[in-house]
Amino acid sequence: MKPRRILVIDDESVICDACCLVLSEKGHSVDHCLTGNAGLLAIEGGTYNLILLDVKLPDVDGMEILKSVREKGPVPVVIVMTGYSTMSNALQAMKLGAADYLAKPFTDDELVEAVEKLFAYDDDSRYG
Amino acid sequence: MTSSTKFENYFHVFRDIIRAMHSSTSVKEVLEEVVAKSTEVLSAKGALLRILNKETNRFEVRAVYGMGERYLHKGPVTTEKLLPDPRKLHKVIFITDVWNARRVEYPQQAWDEGIRMMLDVPLAIEDKLIGLIRIYLEKPRKFTDDELDFILTVAEQCACIIERVQLIESQQTQFDHLATQMEKMSSLGRMAAGIAHEINNPLAGILLYSSNMSKKVTQGSPLEEGLRIIIKETQRCKTIIQGLLEFARDRKPQKVPADINAIMESALGIVENEFRLRHVGLERELAEDMVKTLLDENQIEQVFINLLLNAVHAVEENGNVTVQSSVESLHNKIQVEITDNGCGIAADDIKKIFEPFYSTKAKGTGLGLAVSYGIVKNHQGDIRVYSVLGEITRFTIGLPIRAENCSERGLHETA
Repeated sequence: MKPRRILVIDDESVICDACCLVLSEKGHSVDHCLTGNAGLLAIEGGTYNLILLDVKLPDVDGMEILKSVREKGPVPVVIVMTGYSTMSNALQAMKLGAADYLAKPFTDDELVEAVEKLFAYDDDSRYG
Repeated sequence: MTSSTKFENYFHVFRDIIRAMHSSTSVKEVLEEVVAKSTEVLSAKGALLRILNKETNRFEVRAVYGMGERYLHKGPVTTEKLLPDPRKLHKVIFITDVWNARRVEYPQQAWDEGIRMMLDVPLAIEDKLIGLIRIYLEKPRKFTDDELDFILTVAEQCACIIERVQLIESQQTQFDHLATQMEKMSSLGRMAAGIAHEINNPLAGILLYSSNMSKKVTQGSPLEEGLRIIIKETQRCKTIIQGLLEFARDRKPQKVPADINAIMESALGIVENEFRLRHVGLERELAEDMVKTLLDENQIEQVFINLLLNAVHAVEENGNVTVQSSVESLHNKIQVEITDNGCGIAADDIKKIFEPFYSTKAKGTGLGLAVSYGIVKNHQGDIRVYSVLGEITRFTIGLPIRAENCSERGLHETA
């Protein structure tokens, strides 16, 4: 799989670090932000392929970040992470344009699988 | 006293008692009025009134007049003591021989207080004795029919008011209990969402690191086993929290015409393995004439799975579980019973098993039956439990037949 530029936005540093560890071991380059505002700035200035976004952040509602990312265009794609493991949460995120949804807690395999699934098309040889 | 003034006197007393009954919401005030006026109109020394405490099945002193404080603390007595002969339910009982009457507990005391005669007036509703007025007299005398009529009428009225107030009081208690329950539930819902988020975050850290680490340890090392356990237990926490959220969320059932036998079969398909593994026998007695009714199939299936798993876990190996379904056309409902011959439920636990977080299982979340209860209630149904410790436990679910074009046989035919 091609290496991607990934941004993790979560106010829990343990989760940021864990995601960075797992994904960088798969060859991706991973940054992280601990607040919504820092995340928005990083998105503005960066060239990320993927954002792993916690919906509950202390300063900005994760869903708002998702909306603003989607309004600007199809890239980067967003995977939403949330501790409220309910169906309605997932549905709301998907409606707002999230590419996938991870209910916390999840394993490293689940994380890697969710990421790889998103880029499977791009990596497919037919699409070069 | 002439007979007309006597009559007037009775009338006034009776009027006062009736007034007290209608104006007062406290039984105590009414009872005090009854003992005071009865004493007065019968020219007695005093009176004592006992009421049946339905929980202990004993008659407790609730009002005393003219006899001093000590009488208020007299111990409770049983029905047998008060009324050995049920034919006398609506009659006044005369005690003229204070010394030898079986009904008199402390003859010496009574004699010393100058009591030479007693009247027992039963307070009865139809064929049930709910209380008794004892009237104490200092001189034995004959009672006229009018006097007896009067005292029996007062007793009758008194019994009615006691019954009514007790009914109101029990409804009030029930309502208070419900209100607290509702309050508990709604704050539980808010709390559940908060807990879920707060706990799922640290769990995410644990699960990501442990699953990542498990790939890095050498196969067969003791660390590998430890990490496997950490991963498994963390995922168990996730399941518990999901159950909690599921429970806290007030889901409206999505009802469609459904065959409850088919839902039961589908639930049995899911738990079948558990039955086989534990060598638990399963008997099906599903009604052949089952009718369709409006149900949320997923929710009802969840209830069945919960109850079936509880049953399987309650029986030892080689135990037995029976599922039955039936149509009760007369009550326009269908009924499902899940019976096991397992360990049973203790009486103390029975009262609490539908409460959230109450569990007798070491690994239980205490949510299975609470969720099931909520689902059945959302279907306007009821769920009941009958159990004999060490012998049998039976859960009975009743659900109304909601026809709405889903009837396959005449539901409105009279039985």
